[in-house]
Amino acid sequence: MAEQKAFKTAGLMKDLMAKYYTKGKESREKGIPVAWVTAVSPVEIFYAAGLFPYYPENFGALAAARKVADKLSMVAEARGYAHDLCGYARCGIGDAYADEHPVGEIVKPDLLFCCNTQCGSLPKWFEVASRFYNAPYFLLDSPQIGNEPDKLCEQYFIEQLKELISFLEEVTGRPFDYDRLKEVLHLSNEACRLWNEVLDTAALKPAPFGFFDACFHMAPIVTWRGTQEAVTYYQALKEEVNERIKEGIHAIPDERYKVYFDHIPLWPKLRWFSDIFAAHNALVAVSQYTHSWAYSFDLERPLESLAENYTEEFVNRCFDYRVQLKVNFMKKYGCDGFVLFSNRSCKPNAYGLYDKRNVISSITGLPGVVFEADMSDLRFFSESQIMAKLELFFEQLSSR
Amino acid sequence: MNKAEILGLFKKVAENPDWQARQWKEEQNGKVIGFLLTDVPEELVHAAGFFPYGISGGNSRLERADAHLQTWACSFVRSSLALALEGKLDFLDGLIIPQTCDTTRMVLGIWQHASPLPFLLNFRVPRQVDRPSARNYLIGELARLKEHLENYRGSEISAEKLKKSIKLYNHNRALLRKLFTLHEQNPASLSNKQLYTVIKASMLMPREKLNELLTELIKAIEQETAVPGNRIRLVISGTLLEPLEILDFIEESGGIVVGDDLKNGFRYIDGDINEAVKPLEALADRQLNKMPSAGYDIARNPRRYFLVKTAEQKKAHGVILLHLKYCEPENYDYYDNIQALEKAGFPAIRIETEYGTTSLGQMRTRVQAFLEMVGGEING
Repeated sequence: MAEQKAFKTAGLMKDLMAKYYTKGKESREKGIPVAWVTAVSPVEIFYAAGLFPYYPENFGALAAARKVADKLSMVAEARGYAHDLCGYARCGIGDAYADEHPVGEIVKPDLLFCCNTQCGSLPKWFEVASRFYNAPYFLLDSPQIGNEPDKLCEQYFIEQLKELISFLEEVTGRPFDYDRLKEVLHLSNEACRLWNEVLDTAALKPAPFGFFDACFHMAPIVTWRGTQEAVTYYQALKEEVNERIKEGIHAIPDERYKVYFDHIPLWPKLRWFSDIFAAHNALVAVSQYTHSWAYSFDLERPLESLAENYTEEFVNRCFDYRVQLKVNFMKKYGCDGFVLFSNRSCKPNAYGLYDKRNVISSITGLPGVVFEADMSDLRFFSESQIMAKLELFFEQLSSR
Repeated sequence: MNKAEILGLFKKVAENPDWQARQWKEEQNGKVIGFLLTDVPEELVHAAGFFPYGISGGNSRLERADAHLQTWACSFVRSSLALALEGKLDFLDGLIIPQTCDTTRMVLGIWQHASPLPFLLNFRVPRQVDRPSARNYLIGELARLKEHLENYRGSEISAEKLKKSIKLYNHNRALLRKLFTLHEQNPASLSNKQLYTVIKASMLMPREKLNELLTELIKAIEQETAVPGNRIRLVISGTLLEPLEILDFIEESGGIVVGDDLKNGFRYIDGDINEAVKPLEALADRQLNKMPSAGYDIARNPRRYFLVKTAEQKKAHGVILLHLKYCEPENYDYYDNIQALEKAGFPAIRIETEYGTTSLGQMRTRVQAFLEMVGGEING
């Protein structure tokens, strides 16, 4: 297989993520509180309050990508945390108790904030961490909504944002700065817009950018969303992708098919997967996962708009909505098939996939497959089983 | 009926979980609304004229659910779905699923496709219970549930009806708590298994009938002379009590269960609904003030301290942490719970269970060993 040309922006990413970790340490030294936050949560409030938001999930993904998730996990397992818990949580809890820190030490929190749109694992992990680090914990509770926006849940969310703001005012000892919030929301909007414009180029045939590229380039939209750094990064990435389009550089050498992938990738096997799909001329073009960060805030109604954006996020939605979302992505990106990852570490995304596969196939007529593994832990990875499923899928693709 | 007959009836109900509901449905020509255990306002369902039915899971043919739900999902939910797929819940007209974990949050859509029902609704319980927002929201969510029930029945649920149902359920909980106390005072007259069998049966039969039977049962037990015994006092902590056989193993090793935080145990019968407050507000207050459980963030009453306090108040000699395999919320609590208990001087053991595959022999051995250890400490 021809070696794919590396993104220049990748260098920028390394600097940016190094800066992120340094900033965590510096914040602590300067007395700026470090707040643990979750990936799909209104982090904008924390930037506006002048705190440093830290993403332990990112730590989990890093440990997974470096193939040490099992080592950290075993430290947690020795204390009775079972290996079927979320892999990120196992890494985080494991690191707290570990003597060795193969990916550096997780940044300790001064306070913890979790929004449970994504799952029920994060809040429980954060509860554990709150006890371990003896730091206060705030749960922003987001009940699941159906196909339509839900006023009751939005109102609940808004009330909790107000409670959160009071909580942060107490922590920081200063009144919350709503003007600063507007600036942050604007920066979030910009980064989300640019990020989604980049993602959309995967619909071109052949495409300059695909899901595996997105997995590489997504860290800033998660961790730096709400800052100028994220905007600058995605401006650079977008420019580079546009150059690639002009120069005819494609994500894979000979793209014949486009595939929808659900949901989080197997971090320690990212390269393995990307090579297999490329070898079969299939571009994994889209996943709901990388599209999680597609917010558009109304600066004139900041709290209402935060509530709308976060409660209406697909991770906070019912079965049917999620099916429709996947189908819409498949249409928008012109997919020829879909691969669904039944991820032991991510129950809310895994549960329902067996039925969803059938429903999606009957709506779209596209071939689809479900495979089993864990996003971070290779002890649950069976190469032969997954290969067998994928081979069958590639056969179906080529016979279409 | 005498005591033995009443207990025999409860046993029959628990062993034939669909018996009473089918009979009621036929006699009353009414509708049965199931619920997954147990954070559901049954009073609302009852006030709507429906039969609230607690799906208690099953131990056979879980593999029926494998095409819909991963084998590493909670076995209680898997077994409940398997029951539906086997046709064993075909008397249900509806189902209410309280969203207390990821499995209960995601299973409704699966259920809808695998085993459709005319009335299928999530009850979206708030998971933080300390701040004022939780109460406001929950009152709204209860109103939503009420509205759905009203639409399904075709008419409004009157305040009077709801108050009557609340009164009935309060009375029922008071009777069950009384029974719990009698068991504690005089275990010889009501064994561990008999007690929890009654609690299980209470979710499977009409409340009116239940209250009559409980009143008679209590009267009969009160007439018996208490036999002071030297039992090993235990608290059980976990999500669900499963399997009931563990209660026999505790009994035969000289143990008595004096407290629990189980969804199908004392947590189900604890706390009343304030009849002086507006019904929906009162229902919300009971839910928010329930004893700690892994599905909720309760900062004002941390679960590990609650367990220590319970063990102290109940003068327990030890605590069994009954862990339903793959129950994520429970698993996250485990280590800190056991640390806190041991630090407070309460020996504790974790016993893993799973609907369908629990090895009873192994469980018996572990319970025996634990009770021997704890019992040795009491006597020594």
